[in-house]
This record gives sequence, C-alpha cells and structure tokens, in this order.
Amino acid sequence: MPSPLLVPMSQNTPYIVEMRDISKVYPNGVRANDHVTFAVRPREIHALVGENGAGKSTLMKILYGMERPSSGQIFVRGKPVSIHSPHEAIALGIGMVHQNFMLVPSFTIAENVVLGAEPVRRRLLDYKAAVAITRQLSAQYGLEVDPEAPVEAVPVGMRQRVEILKALYRGADVLILDEPTAVLTPQETHELFTAIRQLVQSGKTVIFISHKLREVKEISDRVSVMRNARLVDTVDTAAVTEEQLARMMVGREVFLHVDKAPLRRGEPVLQVRSLEYVTEAGVETLKGVSFNVHEGEILGVAGVEGNGQTELVEVIAGLRPATAGQVLLCGQDITNASPRQVRQAGVAHIPEDRLTNGAALSMSIAENLIVDRYERPPFTRGGLLQPTAIKENAEWLIEQFAIRAPDGDVPVGSLSGGNMQKVVLARELSAQPKLLIAAQPTRGVDIGASEFIYEQLVRARDNGVAVLLVSADLSEVLSLADRILVMKDGQITAVFDNTPSLTEEEIGYYMLGVKRMSAEAIAARA
Amino acid sequence: MESTIPLSFDRIAARKAVQAERRRSMLIDLGVTLATIIAALLMGFIVIALLGKDPFLAYEALLTGPITRLGRTGRWLELATNLILVGLGVSIAFRARQFSLGGQGQMVAGAIVAALIAIYVPLPPLLGVLIPIAAAMVTGFLLGLLPGVMKAYLRANEIVSTLMLNAIVLRLYDYVLTFHLKPEGSATTRSLPVQPTAQLPTFYELFGVDLGRFNLGVILVVLGAIGVWLLLERTPFGFAIRAIGANEQFARYGGIDTRRVIMLAFAAGGAVSALAGVHLLLGVHRRLFLDFVGNIGWDGITVALLARNNPLLVPLSGLFYAYLLVGGDRVEQQAQVGSELVQVIQAVIILLITAQVLGDWIRARRARTQAEG
Ligand SMILES: Nc1ncnc2c1ncn2[C@@H]1O[C@H](COP(=O)(O)OP(=O)(O)OP(=O)(O)O)[C@@H](O)[C@H]1O
Ligand SMILES: [Mg+2]
Repeated sequence: MPSPLLVPMSQNTPYIVEMRDISKVYPNGVRANDHVTFAVRPREIHALVGENGAGKSTLMKILYGMERPSSGQIFVRGKPVSIHSPHEAIALGIGMVHQNFMLVPSFTIAENVVLGAEPVRRRLLDYKAAVAITRQLSAQYGLEVDPEAPVEAVPVGMRQRVEILKALYRGADVLILDEPTAVLTPQETHELFTAIRQLVQSGKTVIFISHKLREVKEISDRVSVMRNARLVDTVDTAAVTEEQLARMMVGREVFLHVDKAPLRRGEPVLQVRSLEYVTEAGVETLKGVSFNVHEGEILGVAGVEGNGQTELVEVIAGLRPATAGQVLLCGQDITNASPRQVRQAGVAHIPEDRLTNGAALSMSIAENLIVDRYERPPFTRGGLLQPTAIKENAEWLIEQFAIRAPDGDVPVGSLSGGNMQKVVLARELSAQPKLLIAAQPTRGVDIGASEFIYEQLVRARDNGVAVLLVSADLSEVLSLADRILVMKDGQITAVFDNTPSLTEEEIGYYMLGVKRMSAEAIAARA
Repeated sequence: MESTIPLSFDRIAARKAVQAERRRSMLIDLGVTLATIIAALLMGFIVIALLGKDPFLAYEALLTGPITRLGRTGRWLELATNLILVGLGVSIAFRARQFSLGGQGQMVAGAIVAALIAIYVPLPPLLGVLIPIAAAMVTGFLLGLLPGVMKAYLRANEIVSTLMLNAIVLRLYDYVLTFHLKPEGSATTRSLPVQPTAQLPTFYELFGVDLGRFNLGVILVVLGAIGVWLLLERTPFGFAIRAIGANEQFARYGGIDTRRVIMLAFAAGGAVSALAGVHLLLGVHRRLFLDFVGNIGWDGITVALLARNNPLLVPLSGLFYAYLLVGGDRVEQQAQVGSELVQVIQAVIILLITAQVLGDWIRARRARTQAEG
C-alpha cells in the first residue's frame, strides 16, 4: 500500500493540514464552528481542548469528511481539497478514532482492522492474511492486541488500540483521536501515550482531543483552544501552564479541589452481602463481595477496569441478576429486584455506559430528564402529564448543569458528547435518592462541569445521602471518597480510610494485585 | 443546588435560531410533502403516456374521481374512516417499536362480537350503538393483549404471532358466519341485519345528503385521533410507550416496567383498531358477510406509516390514501388503465413520501447558505 506520505508537499507550507475560516451551522440552526482557522504541522502532537460543546468534534468530523463545512477551505499538504466522505479523507491520509467507538462487536479484532479494505484470496476474506497484517502493525507501532479475539470480549483499552490500528492500516498519516483517554485507566493512558510517541517517531501526525489538561501538558507539542464555536488561540504547550489553559477554555479559574465537611457517618444504607455474579458465558466476575455504604459517606471503589466494578454496580441497580448473595437497602431486601423497584426504594444511578442505558437519543432533553420520575407530581397530576412542569424542570437543570442546548425540546442526540453526559448526570443528581451510585461520573465532561459534579456529590454526602463512587480516575477517588475499597478479580482486596497519608502508589499495589489485605482486615473495615 | 457553572454560550440567541429553524422546518416539511406528491404524479403521468394511454383522461379520473359525484365522495370518506381507525390503533404499538400486524384480525373479531349483540339483543337507542362499540373494543383489547403477553413475557416475535392470530380469527369468522349467523335457508352467506337501534345513521338518513354509506361513525375518528394523541403525548403510559420505542434499555434502566407497558400497548392498539370493524358493521354494511373487511387492516398500516405514527397526522394520511384508492378505481373504469398500473403509481407516491431524504437535503442546503452570511 503506497503511503500518502510519499506524495510531495506542494508549495511551501509548514502545515500538513490547514483548515481556514471554517464555519458550520447544523441543519437545526446550531452554529458549532464560527470562522475557525486551525493548522497542524507535520509530525507534531497537536492537542485540541475546549468546553463541552465548544465545537471540537465538529471541526474534526469536517476534516474527516463526516460533516460538510458550511463555509471555509481545507488544505492538505498545501493543496486545497474538499472532503466529501471519510473515504476521501482516508485517501488523503487522514484517519479518525471517534469519541464513541465504531467497531463490529461480534467480529474478531483482525476482521475489524481490515474491514472495508480486506485482503482477499479467491474473492473471499483471507483471514490468515488479516491476522498477519494485524500482528505486524501491532508490533510495528507497539499497540498490543489479540488479533483473534472478538471485539466484544476485550477491554475498552484494547478496543481503542484496534481503532487506531484500523486507521493505520488504511494508511493514515494524520491521526485524529477524539477523547481517546476518556475511557482509559491511568495505566492504559500511559501505554497509549507511549504508542502515540512511537507513531510520531515513525512520521505520523496526531491530533488529540482531551478534557484532561494534565495529559495535554504531558503529550502535546502545541495546543489549540476552542471556546464557544471559535478557535481562541494556538500556543506552544511548553509556554502555558494548566491553569492558563483552563482560563483560556472557560474564561475563569477552575479549582478541582474539594471542600468537605467533617464526616458525619450515619446508619448503613446499602448493605452488600457475599454477592456473586456469573455472566451468561460462565465467567465469575463477582466472587463474594461484602461491604456497607453509610449515610453521609462517599465510598470510593478503585480498581483497574474490568475487575468486577461494572457488574457490581449493575447488580445493585437491578440491571443484572445476582447469582448468589444479598443486597439490602435500608434493611429492605432488593436482591434481584427490577430496576423499577430499586429506584422506588431510593436508588439513583449514573451509569457508566451513558449512551446505551442513560439516554434516549431521539427523545428530547426534557423527556430524558424525567424518565425516572414522570409518573409522580409535579410531572403527572390527575393522570395527565404536565408539560409546563416538565419544561420548567428541563430549563432549571439545563441552567444548573450548563448543558449547552438552546432549550429542552432538542433531542439529546443532537448534543455534543459531553453535554449528553451532563443530561444523565443532571437527572440522577437531582433525584434526591438515599443511595447515589456514580459510575465514572466525570468521564467525558469538561473541567468546569467536573468541578460542579464534585460539589454535587459532596453536597449529597453532606445531606446524608450514601454515595457509591466507582471511578477509574484514582485522583478523583482520592479527592472525594471517605473510604476506599479496591477491587481486583471480582474480590475486594483492600479497604482504606481516606487519610492524607494514603497515596496513589499504595492503592496501586492493591489494584495490580501486588498486595492484598487479610480477609479479617477487609471484613472489619468494609 | 446553588452554584451553577458559568456558560460562555449565548443561550437566548441559540434558542432564537433554533426556534426559527423549527418553524421553517415545518413549512419545509409541508412543501416537501406537496412537492413529492406532485413529482410522483408526474412520473405516473409519463408512464401512462409511454404506454400509449391517455394520461389526461386517467389523471382527470384520479384527481377528480372522488369529488365529482356525491356517492363517490361518500365512498371516499367512508373508506377513510376505516383506514384512519385502523391506522390509529396500529400507530400505538408502532410507537413502542412493536411491529404488530394484528389490525386485520382485531377488526374482524371486534365486528363478530359486536354483531352478536347488535343483531340479537334489542337495546334502546344510543345504548344500541354504544354497547356493541364497547364490546368490540374489549375484544380488540383482549386480542391485542395476547401477542403482547407473548412478546413481553415469552419473547415471541410479534410479527409472527399477530399474523397467526389474524389467520385464526379470519377462519373463525368464516366458520361462525357460515354455520351460526347465516339464517336457515338463506342462499347467500350473510348474517341478519343489525337492529335498527344499533345502526350508525348515514348522512343521507340524517340530512338527506346522499353521501352513500358515509355515517356518524366519523365521530369515532375525531374522538379516536384526539384520544390516541392524548394517550401518547399526555399520559404517563404514553410517555412509557415512547421511551420504550426510543430505547428499551434506557426505559428499563429508568424504572419503566417495560414488559407491562409493551403488553398494554398491543392491547390498547387492538381496542382502537377494533373500532374500524364496528364502524363497518353498524354504519357501512349493517350485517356480516364473507370477506367483510377487505384489505382495510393492511392499508391501515400504510396509513400509520405515512403519518409517521403521529395520531394527529393519521386522519390526513387516511384521507389522502383513501382518495388515491377511490380515484384509482375511477381510473380503471374511465381510462382503461389496468389496476396494476394504478397500484404502481400509488406505491410510488407512498414510497416518495416515506423517504425523508428530500426534506433533509433542503434543510442542509439552507444551513449552508445561512452560515455564509
Ligand atoms: N448532529 C448535530 N445536530 C445538531 N447539533 C449538533 C450536532 N452535533 C453537534 N451539535 C452541536 O454543535 C455544538 C458543538 O458540538 P461538538 O460535538 O463539536 O462539541 P465538542 O467540542 O466535541 O464537545 P464535547 O467535549 O462535549 O465532546 C454543540 O452545541 C452541539 O449541540
Ligand atoms: Mg466531542
């Protein structure tokens, strides 16, 4: 496959990609890009940052041919181009990995990598060649995958590497990564960064979108900041601090440290007893988990993703049946109750996978915001829905959570990735539950919103709510939780009181299975 | 909650832009629908001309057929009433994304049960009409409940189960009619007429305007459209139906008892579809005979799809579709164009309207020109 890199740069341009004066108005009237000029040098790592809904994904979708700009010009290697489809973008050597993955879950990794440009032998997919290609690319760029495993069976980190390999296989020279780290654990992020550096070494250019400024500082050469559909500035990363970047993005200081009132721990609200869960495929993912969450405390669950946290949350929430064990809420047995009964017992749940479970993309924001409470006053009175109450609730929450939407009537599907998340957060945080389960609550939202969500979680705790916080972000767990529980291979391997002396390293040993507390110590503290 | 995140975003301006766009979008939709109808008619025109028939004659028949003679107007309105009632029923299940094809069976079953009362039980005026209607609705409800339960609790595919039920009900209808309702010694296979108090009076009987068999059953259309709209848009049950239709996993996670709602959506749809059967019985034919419902159960599905399952648009699409059917009959008679060709033209029109492409395309163009300013 000839690499487009061999195509000589025409003219004397320092840029491999240049987008000039790009504007985009979506068909519903939303202006997502407003005269944006954005330029990327060859072999650089160029970060693109900005608040939720600032227009980052839109700009990149235009470059990748998925959206057509309303006006403006694009130059690739100095030549004016118009990109009508991803196919044409790929032909120009531009590849993109999306915020929400687009793989075929039942296909193997090798099949996914070659999909769309399959090696063929006698008109059939040459599967052996596909595996060989995947192995070779994987070794060449240090992106480790298991070519013959089906995508649905591998962790998100690997799925992402598959997406990158897929783009590389098609000859991408410029690789757009839209929030690649949002779903990754710190370890996976680290591995991804190593791979990105290797890609640049071998002549590739990377555009990297992230809300985590620490990552932006760590990995990028230059950074462009978008705000309110405009490109505010492009600067050398070395020349700015995280604080300065944050100010450029949101126009004010942002503090991600949390003020908590002293712990006032009350009665246990959630009691989990010897919980076991075996998947339909027969995999044991929870092996006898027991713990309590009390009124007025935040219990943080740390762990490398895929060690049973997802299943734990979904079993408690009634979305999966427990194989054995008990779940009590304020003394009431809710083991294997339906999600409806669990909610009625007083549980709110911010799901980890917000787009599958948390939202209906074709329904309006206002409707999404009441799915757990539409039958109750003030939303239903005398057997009829009350449009005014529904509308007011939406306006209030849109305002509170700064959801970037013109009003409550627009479908959730037309929001930016982070704003979809905020709709789910707004609903669950306003549910006034006894137990609040928050799985990866700040994933995909910008720093301003993260700050607000932290405040809300702490406020719920101070008001006596029991909060179960599951997060792959250790610094998040450390700054919010009163107690921290570590999960490894479906078991609890440690429980800590969150004292100032507790460090990420210490927790890390337990997460990786290097250390493990005795069963008695765990039982005494959980 | 006190603190709010400050937002660098002019919501008022964005709201204005989107609301203006929404208004325009409605106009565009309307314009597009009209344009598609014209385009489809034009295509049919050319086809007829190419086949060597007189397209002007054919089109005159198609476009004016239903309104040039009062009798045909009556036929049009009466047919529309049936299609709309079935369409309304079907749209309820469709909104929950359940492809219930049971309209035909529900109509027939409703008609038999209503007939047993309307033919054999003498009732005072008004009650004579209301009780058969209620009986038909209950029957339709139960007949809808069955595939609903099978889908919700046994995960039986609703397309298969409703089709099977249709077949069973139609056979049963033939049987009951032939061996029980047909009077001894009658030469034709038909029942006795319904009691005079059970008749829905036609407009001729009421006002002397000869609109054929068009009758007071049209009240059911008005009540049905408003009722179904209220049910879907203004009740918690309707909210649950729409949430399930939008994303079933989300509905379940949100605390909706999805199985119960799915089951009841089938049943509610059945109750409404059965109204078409009772209208045929009490207003149009006033007795039962073989092949009493014709194709109405199926055409009603087309009507629901044309209206995109919006109960307020179902009456419009029902009127439109019935117009095409009645006009089509005229074309066959007048212009010697075969019924196949008429059906092809009808199909082209329906296809073009169902495809949303044109409207989306226009909106995208408009957005582009706007941004340049
Ligand atoms: N398909 C669409 N239809 C209408 N509006 C859209 C569509 N996609 C995005 N928008 C709007 O365009 C704006 C910019 O969205 P975009 O997805 O580019 O933001 P983003 O910077 O990627 O945000 P995030 O950090 O939340 O992913 C938002 O206001 C969003 O609501
Ligand atoms: Mg985005």
